[in-house]
Amino acid sequence: MKDLDVRGLSCPAPVVSVKKALEAGEGVLRVLLDDGAPRENVTRFAQGRGYTVQEEALEGGFALTLSAAADQKPKEAASQGGAVLLIGSDRLGDGPEELGRLLMRNFIMTLVEVAELPDRMLFINTGVLLTAAGSEVIDALEALGNRGVEVLSCGICLDFFKKKESLAAGGVTNMFTIAESLLGARSVVRL
Amino acid sequence: MVREGDYVAIFNSIHRVMEAERLLKDKRLSILLIPAPRALAADCGLAIRYSEAARVEVEAALAQAGLLPRELYRRTGEDYVKIEGEV
Repeated sequence: MKDLDVRGLSCPAPVVSVKKALEAGEGVLRVLLDDGAPRENVTRFAQGRGYTVQEEALEGGFALTLSAAADQKPKEAASQGGAVLLIGSDRLGDGPEELGRLLMRNFIMTLVEVAELPDRMLFINTGVLLTAAGSEVIDALEALGNRGVEVLSCGICLDFFKKKESLAAGGVTNMFTIAESLLGARSVVRL
Repeated sequence: MVREGDYVAIFNSIHRVMEAERLLKDKRLSILLIPAPRALAADCGLAIRYSEAARVEVEAALAQAGLLPRELYRRTGEDYVKIEGEV
């Protein structure tokens, strides 16, 4: 059994770390984390993937032991065949700009309520305006991150729009990761 | 998307909800255009969310512009309670 210490990390980093460890094939994982949002989010995420969660109070935090059921096959990482959502614009569909922006915001907020989520969301071109400060979908992207969706924005694009310092949801990625994710994905939905 | 005690205003067309959003944002009121919660039937699938603190200003602005919502609800626990009468 492996120990994973995510104490002191802010959301969604604990869920992302747990997701990576489980996808690396850990059948049983003991996670040391802080009480509050990290504890709730990791529990919800692991249970959603069919793991049983045993809780133990520690001094200054909690330990959760996540165990895969006997017939549970660990879910594959996006780079190894998961579902990827490629968001290449801050607008959804062709037509009036205002409507397109409204539809994209509505789509991302609606995803939070959907059961089957993508493994990874890649934001490129004007799509990165959705992950930067001032975007109205930051809360929704955080909620998706807490459910195990990896939110990644293209670094070149953030730089182009001078948004590098104001990324507000998820992490920065490069074209290698984007290319590998797209080519290795089980399915890609481009918006 | 909708927190305890928040108000959810349902409009009867996409044009009205977009106009209401524009008006309220121009007035720098704290509102958010959201997907209408599944429990509430909305023709256009969109709603405007605001808090108790912003309620008076939001509804006064909408009334002045002739953009009052078709229905208004308040999140209470897991339910949306309809606010009856004149908004």
